[in-house]
Amino acid sequence: MEALITFVLNFIYSSATLALIVLGLAMVFGLLGVMNMAHGEFVMLGAYSAYVVQSLGLNFIWAIPISILVCVIVGWLMEWTIIRHLYNRPFDTLLATWGVAILIRKGIEAIFSRDYKSVDQVMPGTIDILGITYPSYRLILIAIIILLFVTLFAWYQKSKTGLRIRAMVQNPGLASAVGIDTSRLSTVTFIIGVSFAGLAGVLLAPLVRVEPYIGLDYLLSSFFILIVGGLGTLEGLLIGSAVIGGSDALISTIFDKTAGYLSVLLLSILFLWLRPDGIYSRR
Amino acid sequence: MAYTLVVKSLLLAVLILIPFLTNSYFAYQLGLYLLYGMVGQGIALCWGKGGFLPLGQALFFGIGAYISGTILQDSVGWLSVISALILSILIPAFIAGLVGLLVFDRQIGSGPYFSLITLALSLLGYQLANSQVWITGGFNGLTGIGGLPGIDSYGSLYFFIVGALAISTFVLVYLIRTPFGQLLEAVRENEERTQFLGINTSLVKAAAFAISGAIAGLAGAFFAPHQGIVTPQVVGFILSAELVIWAAVGGRFGFIGPIVGAVLIGFLASGLRDSFAYWEVGVALVFILVVLRMPGGISGMVTSLLRRFNIDILSNNVSSRSQIIPKKNNLRKPVLKFDNVSVKVGNVSILDNLSFTIENPGVHCLIGPNGAGKTSALNALTGKLDYNTGNVYWSGKSLKGIRPFRTPKIGIGRKLQVPSIFSNLTVRQNIDIAIWVNRLNIKHLFSVRPYSWGTNLLKDLEESFPFLNKTDVHAGTLSVGQRQMLDFAMTVLAEPDLILLDEPCAGLSKYETEKMILAISKLAKTSKATFIIVEHDMHVVELLSDNVFVMHQGKLLAQGSLEEIRANKEVQVVYAGGSK
Repeated sequence: MEALITFVLNFIYSSATLALIVLGLAMVFGLLGVMNMAHGEFVMLGAYSAYVVQSLGLNFIWAIPISILVCVIVGWLMEWTIIRHLYNRPFDTLLATWGVAILIRKGIEAIFSRDYKSVDQVMPGTIDILGITYPSYRLILIAIIILLFVTLFAWYQKSKTGLRIRAMVQNPGLASAVGIDTSRLSTVTFIIGVSFAGLAGVLLAPLVRVEPYIGLDYLLSSFFILIVGGLGTLEGLLIGSAVIGGSDALISTIFDKTAGYLSVLLLSILFLWLRPDGIYSRR
Repeated sequence: MAYTLVVKSLLLAVLILIPFLTNSYFAYQLGLYLLYGMVGQGIALCWGKGGFLPLGQALFFGIGAYISGTILQDSVGWLSVISALILSILIPAFIAGLVGLLVFDRQIGSGPYFSLITLALSLLGYQLANSQVWITGGFNGLTGIGGLPGIDSYGSLYFFIVGALAISTFVLVYLIRTPFGQLLEAVRENEERTQFLGINTSLVKAAAFAISGAIAGLAGAFFAPHQGIVTPQVVGFILSAELVIWAAVGGRFGFIGPIVGAVLIGFLASGLRDSFAYWEVGVALVFILVVLRMPGGISGMVTSLLRRFNIDILSNNVSSRSQIIPKKNNLRKPVLKFDNVSVKVGNVSILDNLSFTIENPGVHCLIGPNGAGKTSALNALTGKLDYNTGNVYWSGKSLKGIRPFRTPKIGIGRKLQVPSIFSNLTVRQNIDIAIWVNRLNIKHLFSVRPYSWGTNLLKDLEESFPFLNKTDVHAGTLSVGQRQMLDFAMTVLAEPDLILLDEPCAGLSKYETEKMILAISKLAKTSKATFIIVEHDMHVVELLSDNVFVMHQGKLLAQGSLEEIRANKEVQVVYAGGSK
């Protein structure tokens, strides 16, 4: 029973973190049609911001504004120099963002070296919950992510900017004709998307090994989630995260990490084959 | 063609002479970069020619290296060397082909799915290479790999590598000149159109990917004896990314470019990597620049430079159409029947119990206001749109669930609403592909004979549209009217029994419209085919057809001669407004 509760909590925790990471990618891919191959690198930048903040002896909480600042600057630069010119050329965006991903990876590697960095636990304690003891940081993480999702969802549905974004996605030409600055809106959407990745990086940093190449794993698992869940709905995104996060955790526990990874990859190919539009699709 | 042959022979001669001109260490290093260049050639085949980007190509290179390494560890006979080579080619080719089939069958175009799945596979390969110690030796790698029998790995092995490179270059250059290569480029230009010309495009792409896997495997097979050790890095994503960068910087549209890229960046990196910390960052910047500003890479720059001096190394000699292919026999029962076909998406009814039958060959027009479901009806007929209820029958057979690329085989030809041609291919190449529909089999796919095929219909069409004779012109430079005419010619060249023309006169001038109408009615008289023409221009309808179908809101509203349609009250209401 205790093992089951631990597993369920671990499952919720890993799905929630995955959902947070995939959220930004889904925003950028779903709303702007840009497959940002550097998405994982923004998670990595967030994690390195946390590392830098700790090495400077600052309070961990500073990592959040700093990571967002870093992602806003890098994301804005990227949108301004590259993405903006390629909005109707999806294949070239794929290539160019892949180039940016390598650039960021190699840049971080040149500055911080290839070595693993560790970020100290901010909240090393545990909490007794449902008869088991569970790391408190993870529980707080789950709560933060749920809160974030609810806020974003409400903002997207209720706010004027959310409405403008929805209008732009449905019909960019008409949206700009009625006075919506679609190019600025695209920039904002892109920056918000990558900032979410950076935030996820900060929150995850104390729990993972921080190194220049962690971004790839996050890019691929986000992508698998998009295949399984389909684009365009929040439900799909959450279910996709649960399916991918859950099977990875389950198979990895029973066999090993490679088997978990293999199962997730096969699952994605299966979904691509049987339900090319994902579980929840707009069509 | 002569130019490229001379250039390639010269390059080969230089490569052979290099060990005699420089020191043996230089040749040894060069050998490694040439192997990477070979993998890059495979990437160029997929990316430059086929338009889909494999991001995990090191996987196949690494599999080849592990296979040949394992075999060369144990024994040193030529028999085992040859078996190592064969396995190192076949196994990666098989894996690549299988992955290609699985992914391409569900995803049309260049989308991110294929690239990301190949990247994921390469990551998986890296993990397996680290964890399956009993096969790969794990993190420390496969060691103690012997050289080829009697061949010095630091000396004469280089010549074998140059030989393998010469073979892969020759095979690829030949392949791209065959119908297979031309079809692969057609897929890159417009996959949907290629499907309506009867090509199973996912098979073509998977075959190209398998070939690229085979070449990567062959290069890997030489990597093992060359280096004497195979570590997990060889299958990994870092090498995969570097291979893509080298191919891009060298030039992905040809097969020399990737080698230039690998050799150039390889030597620069070996000199600069250790002394300049930001070397890799610089390479990534160059890659981004190539993607944004000069997609042809170094070889593209050289080609355009040569063109300034009027040296065109890319021009192909065009063979004459000496072999006239006879006309095929018509179907016996050219009957088309829509039987209560309904399509609903969400709450919107796209087709609503659509029923009609066409039994007589000749020209039939389908008219109706925008959104009436005319194009959707054609989509349902050609496998582009799945219907919820009802069925469509063509010459007695149900068309439920048919894939678009199968429609030409049962005698259906379709011109899409937007003129769909292969812009970066020449007019001649566009027409070639259209003539091959239903006539090309596996044997022809890899021979250059089909380029000499012509038909009597083509001669007729060239009389109607003289620009079809301009063989060297790229189809993308044609005017809108000419594109419509080329698209029309491509649709009818397969000599289908059911010809679906979606607004063939859209965007044509008055003069061009007359020419198009003349060509259609001439063909209708001589071919005994059934035409369904979607048209808005009543003048065109009047001249072409006396059997008109009117659609409105997914239903058939009326059918009859144009006189009858004009007199029909319901049709007047739909077109002119008013109430019943």
